[in-house]
Amino acid sequence: MCSHAVSVLARCFEEAGISTTGVVFVKEHAERVKPPRMLWVPFAFGNALGAADNPDLQHRILGAALELLERRQGPALEEFPDYTAPQALLQASSAERSGDVDSLDPADELTSLRPYYERWVEKHKGRTQVGLCGVPQRRFRGVVRFLQSYTAGDQQDYTDRPEEVKLPQYIRYCVDDLKAFYYEARLEQRPDSADHQVHEWFWGETAMGRMIVSLAARMEESEDAETKAIPYGLAR
Amino acid sequence: MPRLELLSEVQRRMLQMFPCMEHDDIPWTPMRKPLSESRLALITSAGLHVKNDKPFVMGGDSSYRVIPQSTNTADILQSHASIGFDHTGIYRDINVTYPVDRLQELVDRGVIGSLGENNYSFMGALRDTSEVVERTGPEVARRLVDEGVEVAFLTPT
Repeated sequence: MCSHAVSVLARCFEEAGISTTGVVFVKEHAERVKPPRMLWVPFAFGNALGAADNPDLQHRILGAALELLERRQGPALEEFPDYTAPQALLQASSAERSGDVDSLDPADELTSLRPYYERWVEKHKGRTQVGLCGVPQRRFRGVVRFLQSYTAGDQQDYTDRPEEVKLPQYIRYCVDDLKAFYYEARLEQRPDSADHQVHEWFWGETAMGRMIVSLAARMEESEDAETKAIPYGLAR
Repeated sequence: MPRLELLSEVQRRMLQMFPCMEHDDIPWTPMRKPLSESRLALITSAGLHVKNDKPFVMGGDSSYRVIPQSTNTADILQSHASIGFDHTGIYRDINVTYPVDRLQELVDRGVIGSLGENNYSFMGALRDTSEVVERTGPEVARRLVDEGVEVAFLTPT
């Protein structure tokens, strides 16, 4: 859908007198929308520039897309030639769960991963995708306790929730932050992990993954439409 | 990608059934000068925003966020509604979606003339893009023109 959005935007900008180029994942969408110039890339969603920490590949992709600006006429929808079949993104429901996480407390697990997370952030000069819910990561135990209590049907709101953000959306931000915390900690703990191994670990071996699946199931049962719209984006 | 035939059945169907805008014509603005003399801005549909700005929300958020070129990448977050893409890439390296470091290198090498004052971000999980077509897209286009931007580079997630 993101490929559709960038193709639509390219047309808007072009109509305003700006030359455009860029990257799309779904050729079938771009062919229908007809942005003037786009490079179709064969990578997994989330990897528009090919691969993380690979500046050479990123430059080759940028170069191929920028080259389209030299075309005299369009549409210029070219394919980036390096093809590697992307691995399917592992979702929670297809992860193989290990039985021994049931007895683990996700808050304790989170605390045990904190040194790795903090080292990751330090090494990356402060770059982190944690920060959507506004609670400092050092207080994430409180977020975990709230989500557990919400799942159990007890506490139905979080004291630090900003007034303008509705509760279901706020829960999504909390979960996205917890995932980012765990993934970044894991990448520090096990630097050679391939992306799919991190998913297998998170959904299959952590108490946090298990907690999020239960939370999603609880929200799914709700009769409130806004609450029901959220769990699909938490775990599926 | 995502060659459609290699995706899961659910994802393939979702993409095939997706209600795309369809056009026959192609708007075309030719380059007026070489890229090495042009000003370029980065526009992404990856749902990025500056840390203190408002995150995107679920359910068809057609708004946009301004990301000043001077923003430290440590202050950029992603609040994207879709769970259909792998976040691991952006956890590792923001350039995989938002290649600001690479673009700066191209400016340093003289390939690109300069970068615009601002980059812009949308949240691409939109089944209905009419609000983008009618309002927010043209608004960002006007801002880009005002900022002297001649080339827009677009990235999805």
